[in-house]
Amino acid sequence: MDRDKNIQNQIDETINVSERIQKVSVSAFFKDKTMQVLFADKKEEESRIWLWFTPKLQLASLVCIIILNVIAYTRMQQATYDHHVSQFAESYGLSTPNQFSLLK
Amino acid sequence: MTEDEFIEKLKRHNASAYARLLDDFQQKVFATCISFVPSKEDAEDIAQEVFVEVFNSIGTFKGNSKLSTWIYRITTNKCLEFIRKRNTKKRFGFMQSLLGHEMPLDKSHYFTEVNHPGVILENKEKSDILFYAINQLPNAQKVVFILHKIDGKSYQEISDIIEKSFSSVESLMFRAKKNLRTLLENFYKNNK
Repeated sequence: MDRDKNIQNQIDETINVSERIQKVSVSAFFKDKTMQVLFADKKEEESRIWLWFTPKLQLASLVCIIILNVIAYTRMQQATYDHHVSQFAESYGLSTPNQFSLLK
Repeated sequence: MTEDEFIEKLKRHNASAYARLLDDFQQKVFATCISFVPSKEDAEDIAQEVFVEVFNSIGTFKGNSKLSTWIYRITTNKCLEFIRKRNTKKRFGFMQSLLGHEMPLDKSHYFTEVNHPGVILENKEKSDILFYAINQLPNAQKVVFILHKIDGKSYQEISDIIEKSFSSVESLMFRAKKNLRTLLENFYKNNK
């Protein structure tokens, strides 16, 4: 009899524990962490637009740009050299200017 | 701003609307999670999953219920899913220990490791037993008991969340208490 009563008391006490659980607060950084998770995914989706631009393509593009620059530079150098040579020839009367002048 | 306007902003994935949603609901969602899962770290992980689910599924929200009810429904489902997965893992771990593939585990159930920060030390042993017993209940009874007795929600709120009538909630609560008493009685009789 006493044993049963004791068990019933223990059951009541155990069930009543549920009403004595204290409030627990969420961590201070929960909001920031969650916002980061929510909007980091979105940024990842946006960056998918550039997925086709693989590192190999990036390297190939870089090589193309460098080659184009080198060609452009050498052409420019050549053009400047030719200009200097023709200017020299003109000033020493080694050649006639291409432009026609009425004063001559 | 009305609730409809707020929901529209959420559907457009507006960052300031989500910041407000988190301000309003982070504590409430976390409180529900920690009522189901008595570990702060796990409860926070589930709460975060809830907000991710809200973010991904807000487009399907038709407005048949209040936004808060819909969020609590997601929370309850996420908690039950977590418990089911965790118990499966534990059982698998226990099987592995029997087969000698892993270090022996003396626990085969998630709720034998109650680590609820809101439980004071003198109630620790009893709360371990209580959580273990609650998780022996069928899911519907478990949800009603936890939401009412631990999370402190009213029968009407629970009725909206689980989409059952008020009288069904009362009936589930009655059966939950009765089954819990039987489970606890067996436990105390066997451990005397």
